[in-house]
Amino acid sequence: MTVEEQIREIVARITHVDKSIITRESTFKGMKADSLDVVQALVAVEEAFEIEIPDEEAQKFQNFGDFVSYVENRVAQKEKV
Amino acid sequence: MSLEGKLALVTGGGRGIGKAIALKLASQGADVIVNFFRHRDAAQETANDIEALGVKAEIIRANVGDPAKIDEMFDMIGNKFGRLDILISNAASGVGRPVMDIDIKAWEWTMNINARALLLCTQRAARLMDGRGGKVVSISSLGSFLAWPTYAVVGVSKAALEALTRYLAIELAPQGICVNAIAASAVETEALKFYVKEGLVKDSHHVTPAGRMVIPEDVANVVAFLCSEEAFMIRGQTIIVDGGTSVGLLALAGREDDEHG
Repeated sequence: MTVEEQIREIVARITHVDKSIITRESTFKGMKADSLDVVQALVAVEEAFEIEIPDEEAQKFQNFGDFVSYVENRVAQKEKV
Repeated sequence: MSLEGKLALVTGGGRGIGKAIALKLASQGADVIVNFFRHRDAAQETANDIEALGVKAEIIRANVGDPAKIDEMFDMIGNKFGRLDILISNAASGVGRPVMDIDIKAWEWTMNINARALLLCTQRAARLMDGRGGKVVSISSLGSFLAWPTYAVVGVSKAALEALTRYLAIELAPQGICVNAIAASAVETEALKFYVKEGLVKDSHHVTPAGRMVIPEDVANVVAFLCSEEAFMIRGQTIIVDGGTSVGLLALAGREDDEHG
């Protein structure tokens, strides 16, 4: 499973949105996610990939694609190390 | 009132009230472990400030709403230090909603971080204090007995925390562990600025008999006292730090009417 697929599974589980309709353009607001959903999604992704996502970075995510790209970069950096 | 040689853990110690507590304990000579969850940079900054006071500091990440993370945190403390003298259960979170909108997820998130964490952290801390005694202070709020808009689940969690503080105080007294709580009114922090901006909390300095809002250092000063030997006979209490707001509510209601009427 790719990073994107794993994140999609996590976000779908937390927001109760069908994963098939989550695209890179999807927003948390569009998925009717509240602030608790967002925090729980961040925490679940952090644990799944053993990374930290500072709030300051998370606040820059405009959509699901931004979230995925950030995590992909962090995972790639981790693998280099 | 020296805490020299003591080792303290402050949950949520990187920012706001927790930071002020961590710095106050450090200023009294304690080495401090700063727990954080979402703000590593702030925790590191607090640790740097602590070390500038001439004592040791550590930062440790853990979501205290997660029992496994609490275990990991205390395993680390046990392995590295083998002891703990002071636990400040300060980390808090919450979902601001009217009671009819509180779902199970919001309830459990808030209760687990604000109330259950005190139980689980104290159970682990007590083992590290065994035979040497210790101090536990939990941070509550006036919302435990007052009803504020959208504060229901947090208020309930704080009421649970205060009740648990009483039980812990009695059951841990034979081990020489003093347990108390502090309930503050709205404290001037970054979190409060958010609530004021969102219109959920009013800037209340004009209705506080003491003439200003509570600041983090006001809470930290009482924490330091409760952690000192001078407070040995205070057990299971919730000390209110609110500049007189709670005892002056009725009088102040009239004063507010005058000001706005």
